[in-house]
Amino acid sequence: MKKLISLLLTSFFLPLGAIHLHGQNREIDWSKIYSEQLFHITEVMVTDVASPPVAARIYAYTNLAAYRVLQVANVKFDHGDFLSFSQINKQVADLSLEPIQSPEFAAIFALFLVGEKVMPSGYLLKEKQAAWQEWGLKNKVITKKNLEQHLAFAKAVADQVLGMAKSDGYIQLTALNRYSPKEGEGFWYPTPPAYMAAVEPEWKTMRTFFLENLEEYKPAPMADFDLSQGSPFQIQLQEVYDKGKNLSEEEQLIANFWDCNPFKVEFSGHMAIGVKKISPGGHWIGITGISAQKVGLTFSETTYIHALVAMTLHDSFVSCWKAKYETNRIRPETVINEKLDPTWKPLLQTPPFPEYTSGHSVISSASAEILTGYFGENFGFVDSSEVYFGLPERAFDSFSQASDEAAISRLYGGIHFRDAIENGVAQGKKIGKSIWQKLEE
Amino acid sequence: MIIFSRILISSLIFVGILIGFSNALFAQENSTKFEKLPSKKTGISFKNQLKEDGQNNILRYEYFYNGGGVAVGDLNNDGLDDIFFAGNMTQNKLYKNLGEFKFEDVTRSAGVAGKNTWTTGASMADVNGDGLLDIYVCYSGKGSPESRKNELWINQGDFKFLDKAEELGLADPSNSTQGLFFDFDNDGDLDLYLLNHHIQVINELEFDAVRQVRHPYAGDKLYRNDSGKFTDISELAGIKGSALGFGLAVIASDINQDGWVDLLVTNDYIEPDYLYINNGDGTFSDRITNHFQHISHFSMGADIADINNDGLPDVFTLDMLPEDNERQKLLYGPENYEQYALMIKRGFYHQNMRNMLQLNQGSGFFSEIGQMAGISNTDWSWSALFFDANNDGQKDLFVTNGYYRDYTNRDFLKYKGDYYFKQAVAKEKADTLHLVTSMTSTPVHDYFFENKGEVKFQNTSLSAGFGEKNFSSGAAYSDLDNDGDLDLVVNHLNETAGIFENKSNSGNWLQLELSGKSGNAYAVGSKIRAYSKGKIFFLEQHPVRGFQSSGTYRLHIGLGTADQVDSLQIIWPDRSQSLLKSISGNQLLKIDQTEAKPVSVDPITSLPLVSKTLGPDFVSTQSNVNDFKRQPLMLTMPSHLGPSLAQADLDGDGNSEVFIGGSKGTPGRIYSFKNGTWEVYRGFRSSSDFTDAVAIFHDFNGDQKPDLFIGSGGFHDYLSTDESLRDRLYLNDGNGVLIAQGDFPKYMISTGAAAVLDANGDRFPDLFVGGKVIPGRYPETPDSKILINDGKGKFTDQTALFLPNKGKLGMITAAVSQDLNEDGTDDLILVGEFMAPSVLINQGGKSFENQSKGYFPLNLSGWWSNLTQADMDGDGDLDLIAGNFGLNSQLVASPEKPIRLYSADFDQNGSIDPILECYIGDSHYPYPSRDELLDQMVSMRSKFTDYASYSKAKLTDLFTPEELQNAQRLEIQTLESMYFENTGTGFKPHELPRMAQAFPIYSILPIDLNLDGNPDLILGGNQSQTRIRIGKIDAGLGLVLTGDGKGNFKPLTPSESGLGIKGDIKSMLNLKTGDTSFLIFGINQQKPEVYQIR
Repeated sequence: MKKLISLLLTSFFLPLGAIHLHGQNREIDWSKIYSEQLFHITEVMVTDVASPPVAARIYAYTNLAAYRVLQVANVKFDHGDFLSFSQINKQVADLSLEPIQSPEFAAIFALFLVGEKVMPSGYLLKEKQAAWQEWGLKNKVITKKNLEQHLAFAKAVADQVLGMAKSDGYIQLTALNRYSPKEGEGFWYPTPPAYMAAVEPEWKTMRTFFLENLEEYKPAPMADFDLSQGSPFQIQLQEVYDKGKNLSEEEQLIANFWDCNPFKVEFSGHMAIGVKKISPGGHWIGITGISAQKVGLTFSETTYIHALVAMTLHDSFVSCWKAKYETNRIRPETVINEKLDPTWKPLLQTPPFPEYTSGHSVISSASAEILTGYFGENFGFVDSSEVYFGLPERAFDSFSQASDEAAISRLYGGIHFRDAIENGVAQGKKIGKSIWQKLEE
Repeated sequence: MIIFSRILISSLIFVGILIGFSNALFAQENSTKFEKLPSKKTGISFKNQLKEDGQNNILRYEYFYNGGGVAVGDLNNDGLDDIFFAGNMTQNKLYKNLGEFKFEDVTRSAGVAGKNTWTTGASMADVNGDGLLDIYVCYSGKGSPESRKNELWINQGDFKFLDKAEELGLADPSNSTQGLFFDFDNDGDLDLYLLNHHIQVINELEFDAVRQVRHPYAGDKLYRNDSGKFTDISELAGIKGSALGFGLAVIASDINQDGWVDLLVTNDYIEPDYLYINNGDGTFSDRITNHFQHISHFSMGADIADINNDGLPDVFTLDMLPEDNERQKLLYGPENYEQYALMIKRGFYHQNMRNMLQLNQGSGFFSEIGQMAGISNTDWSWSALFFDANNDGQKDLFVTNGYYRDYTNRDFLKYKGDYYFKQAVAKEKADTLHLVTSMTSTPVHDYFFENKGEVKFQNTSLSAGFGEKNFSSGAAYSDLDNDGDLDLVVNHLNETAGIFENKSNSGNWLQLELSGKSGNAYAVGSKIRAYSKGKIFFLEQHPVRGFQSSGTYRLHIGLGTADQVDSLQIIWPDRSQSLLKSISGNQLLKIDQTEAKPVSVDPITSLPLVSKTLGPDFVSTQSNVNDFKRQPLMLTMPSHLGPSLAQADLDGDGNSEVFIGGSKGTPGRIYSFKNGTWEVYRGFRSSSDFTDAVAIFHDFNGDQKPDLFIGSGGFHDYLSTDESLRDRLYLNDGNGVLIAQGDFPKYMISTGAAAVLDANGDRFPDLFVGGKVIPGRYPETPDSKILINDGKGKFTDQTALFLPNKGKLGMITAAVSQDLNEDGTDDLILVGEFMAPSVLINQGGKSFENQSKGYFPLNLSGWWSNLTQADMDGDGDLDLIAGNFGLNSQLVASPEKPIRLYSADFDQNGSIDPILECYIGDSHYPYPSRDELLDQMVSMRSKFTDYASYSKAKLTDLFTPEELQNAQRLEIQTLESMYFENTGTGFKPHELPRMAQAFPIYSILPIDLNLDGNPDLILGGNQSQTRIRIGKIDAGLGLVLTGDGKGNFKPLTPSESGLGIKGDIKSMLNLKTGDTSFLIFGINQQKPEVYQIR
């Protein structure tokens, strides 16, 4: 009896079909569901302790898979196709698959399939895949009969995206050299308390999506290492030190809000526990989802903006990491402990890679550019991305207000000098603008 | 019926004989046996039970699972040792020994139950010198200082005690671990070293600041006994007192044999242990870095005893390295070279996580050989006790261990943080105590090792009766039943204390009871030397040993088959001596200090064979290059190979010039040695791009002047086709100027060896050049070469013609040439890494053929690093001495348990993945830690998502059979350095003496050093450029083996030879000027050292 009803219902819904996503299944809040499902990817990354650049790469390929499903299903978007001017455009072959009832269902499923392969603990998504199928059937998004067709569709697209991921330089990284501290003063050295190894010193060799020539996005030069009184470096050093000692409550809150350290090690004698948070990229994916939900974006538009932000994040990280391992600049904590105050400790735990430019500044500014382009200037939102990590919600009047705060938070946190922040912001804005401009063209 | 009983009787007798017979057999093999006596039988029910709750737990108190101590001693002088147990949270207990393993709980009447404060260590000592042992009990925990005051139970006789700590000035409120009573100023009374620990975790940013300050409760203290009252003189006496000292053991011994008691203090965590040398003027100086080259990291219990019967006390410290693969894999995290470098820079010294045995070599030299001895891995260990359990004349080793929670499990660090996140997502409150109590708990068995002599210990834990898995802390030995063997008392955590009766089939023995003068009635600090059948037995009267415990005052010597001691020397604390002759064994001998005579003993001094003199002021090999950044799965760094050395009289002035090889960054140089000074020789110039691996002076163009061939090696950042890998030939212009020859064949090999020989029979000197490694592609086989000389110093590469396998012969490290088959042509003998010695027989000057099988037996594949030929047995042919990796590391190899090295580009990303597989504990496992493996291959990251999944993985879990089948596979079947006797038909392997196996050998010099007409050997080596996990292998000090001319060798100590070189010796030369003969040592990262031969 039950079976019969579901069959009836399914056949009733079938004619509503796929091509137009707008207005379909009004009772389903697709932008919220997209964020919720994407969070499962985030959860696995937290378990695996994906480093910030690696996390951005994972967001890029998983969201790209969702986007590609919609593309292949001939769904229309409000804005142009960003893949058309990407460096992977050649790998975007036509798949000519049979139309499916729910591209949404297949998109999320493809996102999981890619996530399963690009993350070490991706197997944890098996459970989520099963739950998603159950949800799809329960909510009549798909039928038992066409489930397999959806899965096959998702797999075909996911395989194509995984093919792209396979050729982006990631597996070649382990064939390259690890970081050796440079001889001389002012160069990066691992930082307390865990002295973790340098994260991804050769990330600059990764393929970007949109940036064709990384040299164009090279940040302005940093202040040279110079401890003499009044030198640009010394002034900035003093600023970090003084600021760290005189932080207002609000500034402390800001620093912690944007900490986004995937692995903070807390020691207690022989015992050490890694305290985990989402990465900077994860935070901006969170903001993207919040914004999408705020305006009630359709599934297709939600997917579009997530994929675009995620791929922008990846490019920003590659650009920033190139700068980091070309300058190999020392972290404030190291200089301060050596030269000013052996017991000074930054509010945040210094992340394990060189200082210049500030990753959070670059990637936040780039993301904000994209989001502002998409959602508009003065788009207010309440950022609840960090609630799971014990931090309160925070309201912003615009994306750029949020990204500027993310940038300066690194000074409050005591982990960056001002020029790494300001020049990082400029670097990120340039990246974001160039991508958005290409879309507009 | 009668007949029947007769048969029964005779068969009983027969069985008896059989038992006796088998026992005799057994005694030689595996004779130690302890039996845990049931609590019901002994009457000992003490149980150190912990109660974990919100107030009392590991988060609030770091040392929550350390356990309690034991003190043993005859409190009522009835000839039976009584036992005191310290309970952390339970009452302390005192048991009176009633004999025959029956004990009576006399805690209540004695009044020594202690207080409701965290109790740690206990010791028995006659503090007031009245002839009765007193009990000092240490307290710690998170309570008030007042609550922590230590107790001193003064023995009133008849098991009545009164706490007089306050009165005597010893009610110290520190967080104490153990009190050690000893006479540090030789004034006839007992002083106290109070070992303390910190109870807070110190942030590593604070290390430097904290180090400067004396902490009132965490710092160790020295109390001087001033006529019965104790005064804290720590600062005055130079005792370190910073809060960084997490003291877990203090052991007294006259380490430098100068008559003043020295101290070893072990420290947990980052602070290095202290080796306090008694200056004899009321002060101590920590000299640990002068004597030990590397030390345990998280040092816990310790013992000091003469383990090799050479009359010198050896030092053993415990750490936490497990024996089996699974627990090692769960424990090992990523190796952090920058953090290690910082640790060294900040003065925390070379510390590695494993037990360390510092073998006392005399003259202040120690060699750490814990791994070779087989006692380095005993898991999270607490007490170490050396004593002769089976009376065979060798001190055996007992180790207690176990930690109640698997704290250091890597998954806990990496994945338990998810708990907070998951609780947050589930909107539930996180409870850290829950997190901690959810940690796994793995009981482990105690370890027992039988000393087999030659610093070889055999793990007989299970057969000796210690198979039970539990958590053990303090322990003490004592002949509880006075039957002539030592029994054991062990304080367990959360389990009834163990009394282990010694049921070994044992040899003869002698026990001594010393009566000192008043003030030190038990003669603490006395030294015993017993001589029997040419053996020395050395003991010191210091009952505090192991961990938080003190043992019997009765000194016990196992005599083995000897039934008497030929002479017995007692050196009393005031340096007076008693000398007794011909003492029969198997008795308890009481000796009184009043019978002693003051004796002044002249130290036996024999002049060493060599003495140090001035060397050239030139370091050519200083480099921080880290090859593991390029190929993370190698075990040692191939870049650090120099300096090479070679000598010749270039300018014909009768004095030799010495070539010192350069390495990338520093060009090699030639020095002239004239009139005792070293001058840079001007007729030579090299470039800083090269790393000079091999240097050979030889007249290559027939003008009677020495020319120079330099083989370029190294790894560094060289590309496999790097110009800097070119070998070079310099011809002597006749005036002593060396001119580089541009037309020398151009080939790019990282050279490992070269030999001059006449390959084609034209009487001109040709060259064999052996390739060692392809930079960046270890362990792919590099090319080796034959270069043919036209007689004018013009060489052509004729490898294809001459060498088998197109010159791919292995990773060659050494080559020598001699005419093996006496056909008049030069043959080649090669050794290398992961290969067996190879013999290439010259086919009449046409080519070489591999005929190794005809000359060497099977199963000799090794990690060979050197090959030298000399006639060692005086039979007129050239024997071989071959340097291997040695036995002093975690690696083991035998034909049955080979080390295998698989390599291929498994993940097809363009880099070679070298995966080592070796025997760990019970079977073959991959050598890399999970982090190392995942860093090498992305594909492994999803295969082993946590440490647990990798902890049991075999190589077949990493790769498919096809992948392994297609991979290059190399093997090591032996790690022992050997002497190969040339028998005329081949080479017969003999292992070099044990001390020669304690370090990798990179240089061998045959020379008659003692001028007895027989060639001796000097062996240089060590390896400091290893993975952190392997650590420095530095037991070699320039080892001299004297030869008897028959192929037998005897090692000399540094004081005998005069050689005590710390560092990685890579090359040696014997330089003669006039009548004087010198030894030059090329040492990596250091200046060359020069010694003059007596």
